[in-house]
Amino acid sequence: MTTANTTNTYTLPVGPLHVALEEPMYFDIQVEGETVRGVQLTAGHVHRGMEALAMQRNYLQNVTLTERVCSLCSNSHPATYCMAVEALSGLTIPERAKYLRVIADEVKRIASHLFNVGIMAHLTGFDSLFMHAMEVREIMQDAKEGVYGNRMNLGQCVIGGCRRDIDEETAAFLRGQLEQLKPQLDELYGVFERDPLIRKRTRGIGLLPLAEAKRLAVVGPVARASGVAYDVRRKAPYAAYPELDFEVQSDTKGDVHSRALLRLREAVESVKLIEQCLRKMPSGPVCTEGMPAVPRGESVARSEAPRGEVFYYLRSDGTDTPQRLKWRVPTYMNWEALQVMLANCQVADIALIVNSIDPCISCTER
Amino acid sequence: MNEKLKDIQSDAENAIAQALGGEFISWTADSYGNEYGWLRLRAPEDMAKLAPVLVGLDARLMTITAYRIDKFARIEGREIAYHFDLDGLALTATIALTETPPQIPSITRWFANADWHEREFSELYGITISDHPNPRRLFLDNELDAGVLDRLVPLSTLMNGASTNTLWEKVFAGKQMPDWAKEKDR
Repeated sequence: MTTANTTNTYTLPVGPLHVALEEPMYFDIQVEGETVRGVQLTAGHVHRGMEALAMQRNYLQNVTLTERVCSLCSNSHPATYCMAVEALSGLTIPERAKYLRVIADEVKRIASHLFNVGIMAHLTGFDSLFMHAMEVREIMQDAKEGVYGNRMNLGQCVIGGCRRDIDEETAAFLRGQLEQLKPQLDELYGVFERDPLIRKRTRGIGLLPLAEAKRLAVVGPVARASGVAYDVRRKAPYAAYPELDFEVQSDTKGDVHSRALLRLREAVESVKLIEQCLRKMPSGPVCTEGMPAVPRGESVARSEAPRGEVFYYLRSDGTDTPQRLKWRVPTYMNWEALQVMLANCQVADIALIVNSIDPCISCTER
Repeated sequence: MNEKLKDIQSDAENAIAQALGGEFISWTADSYGNEYGWLRLRAPEDMAKLAPVLVGLDARLMTITAYRIDKFARIEGREIAYHFDLDGLALTATIALTETPPQIPSITRWFANADWHEREFSELYGITISDHPNPRRLFLDNELDAGVLDRLVPLSTLMNGASTNTLWEKVFAGKQMPDWAKEKDR
């Protein structure tokens, strides 16, 4: 959608600081009455130069740095970065560490998805549902705190495996949290699926047809809700995912409502994945002994973060700092799809549609 | 690797060899058995031959990485790596930029999502993109120089900022201002 040039349109600036935005992004929106006719995005308000910083940090320090790219996907970044370093170094992580990495990723996925659907409820004006979703999410926040000692950055991934093991007592605690979560997650899904207010406000808006999803190469729940059933955990499996049973969620409606429901279904799958890991996890070390020098060369690694595919490219000149470390976050691929989703929508729906791509601006800009 | 991926791999090898005349892909694998293809193009113009072939293979552009061949710029030269996905296979095509100033044609006509990637490496590495449909800045303000990721700015230079005397005039308001605080262009 390009900016319209009719005499009946006027410009509605949204952002960079706006009550409906968690982070700063500027939308220059052309409206005709209450209908959106054009939108132009201006980014860069939280550009941190992290990739330049990564080239000055050594390989170990970059584990800590990459965990700070994004708060909600915080485990996916060091995990994928470690995979890139391990691929280049020819390092194979212990079997138990593969399961531990899946547990950390899936715990984060549940918390991230619940946050997004909670915000969606808030934006529809259904604040009691927002608070309920956040309360349900709190079960996973407590799980993170109990297992890893932190509620956001888990600090679980290291090059060669994981930092902490999950012993029997901790596993029992985590199982207990999941048991507490499961019925509430089912109940929440029912409310989001059937509540008349949620349906009225979110069905049929922010449409992204399959052809447009493919043309713009969107990723994650945004792509899957439009019929692109691509999940890195299945297409290019890593960690313990090849050993685990899960269903890749997809839909064909491609609207705000279907994206929210898909996220909730993915959270249910994540619970199953964690349970399988706790059951099947073999005993043994959680990390390799030491770390070999990273040789000259290049590697690619990717994983499925809550918002979609995370991509890391590592290039080494044989020193202890990367020659280049490039990463691409899922939201980066989804912004331009807003041009399609916002076309001809109502002004009141802008925030709901923007939230439906689960935007992360800090990680887009790095 | 399953049969479907093997077919994709072989189709990609054949189509690319035919389009580029003898270019070949080398493959590496990670410890999970995922395959990664690596392809080095001879000239920036080769991307215009490769891109339509990749569209025919239903490839998805994952991202583009620009970098200096020596990060401290002791040796001059930049390269660009284009990363594609072929339904689970990752393919990286690398091109050395030979012209001064460095430039490369846009691939947005084949891959619409190249828009942001090209604008980003253009502003961070000072690489000119020809035929880009939307060549405005992505993250950096227009007032900032292009290529900020391309050069080293020592911390001492960054902190050597000039300031006016306004601050000290307020600090020493109503008192005798020392000579050092009176110096202009601090």
